[in-house]
Amino acid sequence: MQYSPFTTWILSNGISDQILELLIAVTILATIVSLARYIFGSKSYGIYAPIILAIAYSYTGLKYGLAITAIVIITSLLSYSVLKKIRMHYITRIAINYCILTLVLITFLIAVNYLGLGLENMENVPALAMISIAALGEFFTKQYIKKSFKNSILILLSTILISTIGWFVITRNVISTYLFNNLWIIPILILVNLLIGQFKGLRIKDLFRFKSIVRSKDNV
Amino acid sequence: MSRKNSFQDILGLNRRNQEYVRPYNPPSAKRIADNKILTKRILAKAGINTPEVYKLIRSKKQLQFLDWDSLPKSFVIKPNKGTGGNGIIVFYGKKKDQNIWIRPSGQVMTQRDISLHIENILEGRFSMGSKKDIAIIEERVKTDPLLKQYSFKGVPDIRIICFNNIPIMAMTRLPTKRSNGTANLHSGAICTGIDIGTGITTYSMHMSPKSLMSDTYEMIDKTMDLKQNKSLSGIQIPDWDKLLEIALKCQKATGLGYIGVDIAIDRDKGPVVFEVNARPGLGIQVANQTGLRWRLEKARGLDIKSIKHGMRLGKNLFGGEVEESIESISGRKVVNIVEKVNVYHKPAVSMRKRKQKIKVDKEIVNAFMDTGILTSRISSSLSNRIGFREAIKYFKTIDIPNNFDSFKDAQDYIDTKGQEIIKHDDILRLAKITEDGKIHIRPVIKITIKIGKDVRDIETVVTDDIIYPLVIGRSELSGYLVDTTKTFK
Repeated sequence: MQYSPFTTWILSNGISDQILELLIAVTILATIVSLARYIFGSKSYGIYAPIILAIAYSYTGLKYGLAITAIVIITSLLSYSVLKKIRMHYITRIAINYCILTLVLITFLIAVNYLGLGLENMENVPALAMISIAALGEFFTKQYIKKSFKNSILILLSTILISTIGWFVITRNVISTYLFNNLWIIPILILVNLLIGQFKGLRIKDLFRFKSIVRSKDNV
Repeated sequence: MSRKNSFQDILGLNRRNQEYVRPYNPPSAKRIADNKILTKRILAKAGINTPEVYKLIRSKKQLQFLDWDSLPKSFVIKPNKGTGGNGIIVFYGKKKDQNIWIRPSGQVMTQRDISLHIENILEGRFSMGSKKDIAIIEERVKTDPLLKQYSFKGVPDIRIICFNNIPIMAMTRLPTKRSNGTANLHSGAICTGIDIGTGITTYSMHMSPKSLMSDTYEMIDKTMDLKQNKSLSGIQIPDWDKLLEIALKCQKATGLGYIGVDIAIDRDKGPVVFEVNARPGLGIQVANQTGLRWRLEKARGLDIKSIKHGMRLGKNLFGGEVEESIESISGRKVVNIVEKVNVYHKPAVSMRKRKQKIKVDKEIVNAFMDTGILTSRISSSLSNRIGFREAIKYFKTIDIPNNFDSFKDAQDYIDTKGQEIIKHDDILRLAKITEDGKIHIRPVIKITIKIGKDVRDIETVVTDDIIYPLVIGRSELSGYLVDTTKTFK
C-alpha cells in the first residue's frame, strides 16, 4: 500500500502500522464520545470504557464482541444479585465477580465449540480483546451499586451504542486509510474538541427533557 | 404579561456548567458544598440551623468503639462527601431492647448491617471519585405537619436556587411510596414548583416510571400513592420569607455564586438546612414550567445591597410570572384551611325560630378545607340544627349494615336498596365513605353556604360528629387557593 511521505517517514522510524492505526482510532473514538456527551447528551461509563470497547469490537468483530458483552453483563448482574445477600467488602465482591465471569466465559466458549450458536469463529477472538470487554462488568456493577437498575442499564446501553458507532467508524477502510495518510486530522480533532468544549447550547437530550416547558406556555 | 417560553430561555447542562458553575463557584466554595461536615460548621457560624450531628465516624477503629446503645431511636447515616443522595439511610425506630433499627420501608437493619454500611461509606463507595470518606450519624428531621400531608414517610425538602444574592427559582420535593420515602427525584419523588413571590406551589411533575429514557418528566396535579391523594397546587409553604432569607444567608456564608439550598422544615426547630449544592439540577425548570436562563441573565450584574434587597428583587422580578398562572388557574380566591363559613338553615327551621322571635337563618361555623376528599361532609349535629333532623332520624331507622368489606359491596347495596331509602325528600342520594378505616353508607343532603362572598348550594354527606362541623371537599374547592399558613402559625 502506498502511504503519504509523512506517514512513510513515521513508519520507518520505529512505529508499527498497528500502533499508528490504534492511536489514530483512539483520537477518533475520544471525539465521538465527547460529541455524544455534549451534543447529544448521551452518558457513558467515562471516556475510557467506550474507547476500549470499540477497539475490542474491532478486534473481535461486532457479532462476537456483542455476544461477549452480553455474557459479561448478564453474569455481572446475576452474580451481583446473588452476592448482594452476603455481607462483604466491595473489592472482594468485584473480585468474585471476575472469578465467576471467568468460569462463565470458559463454559460459554466450550458451548460455542459444541453448539456453534452462529459464533463458529469464536476461538480466533484475541484474548486481550475479550478481557477488555470483561472489564465492562466492573463499570456496570459500580454504577449499579450507586444508582438504580434502570439508570445503570441506560448508561450501559448508551455506552454500547457509542462503542458500536465508534467501531463502525474505525473499521471503515475508507476512513482509516484516509486518516492514515492525513495525520493533520489529529490537530483538527483537538480543535473540534475545543469547540465542543465551548458549546453552551442545549444538548439534544435537553430538548426532549424540557419540551414540556416550551409546549405548555405556547398553549396559554 | 405572560411569558412565552422558548428553548432560548431554558438552561441546559452545558451552559449551567460553563456560564454559572465554573465562573461563579470557585473551587474553595465547591469544597464546602461537597463536604457536609464543613458545610454544617460554616452554616452554624452564620447562625443557620442544620441537623444535629450525633456521631462522626472517621475510621474502622472508631466504628469498633461506637457506643450503639447511645444511639437514639431514629437517626440518619450519611456519607460526608456523598453525591445525589447515595448512601443515605434513614432509621425511623428501634426494636425494643435490641440493637435493631427500622427503615421507612419497614425493612430492619441489625448492628452488623449498619456497621457494614458505615464501612462501605468509609471506603468511599458513595463518595465522589471513590475517595475515603467519613460517616455522619445525625438527627432525623421531623416533618412539619403541613408538608407531611403530601409526602410518604420521608422528609420533604425545599430547594431554592440563588444567584448573585437573588432567589431565582424554588421547588419542593415530596417523598412518595415509589421513592421509598426519599426526596430524590430520580427514585420517583414528586417535584412541585413554588412561586418565588408568594411561596405558593404551582406545577408538579415526577419522573415518568414508564419512560425508557432517563430524565423524562410527567406533569401531575395530585399526589400519587398516598391513602388520600391531594391536590398539589396552591399550597402555601409556611414561613416563605424566612426560607428565602436562609437560602441567601447560605449563599453568603459559602461563597457559592450559583447555589441550590435544600431546606427542610422541622416540626420543632423550624427551617433546617440539609445541604447546599454547587451544581443544582435543572429539573426545577420543569416543575416551574419556566426557564432558568432568562432569570439568571436578568439577575446577572445587579448590585445587591442586602439580603432583604435581594429577596425583594427576586420576588418582584420572578414572582409575578407564576403568580399570573396561579391567577389563571384559580381566579385567585384565597380561603384559609379553616375558614368561617355561613351555613343557611332550611326555611322550615327559620320559620319556627321566627315564631319564637329569634331570627336565626344562618349559622357561622368553622369549615375545614380538605382537598383529600371529593364530596363535602357535614356533622350530623350541625345538620340536625339546620333543619335536617327529620331526614337524619328517618335514615337512622333504616337497617343498613354498619360496615362494608369493600366499596364494591357498598355500591351493590346502594344499587339494590338505594331507591327505597332516598324516598325522603331531603335525601338526594346515598354515598359511600370511609370513616376510621371502615366503609359506611351515608345520606347526602343539599345545604346552602356562604363562603367568602359566594353563596352556593353544595351537596354534603352527613357523617357522625367530626372535629369540624363542616368539611369542604375537592368538588367545591375548584377555583380556590387554600392558604394553610393561618392554621400552622
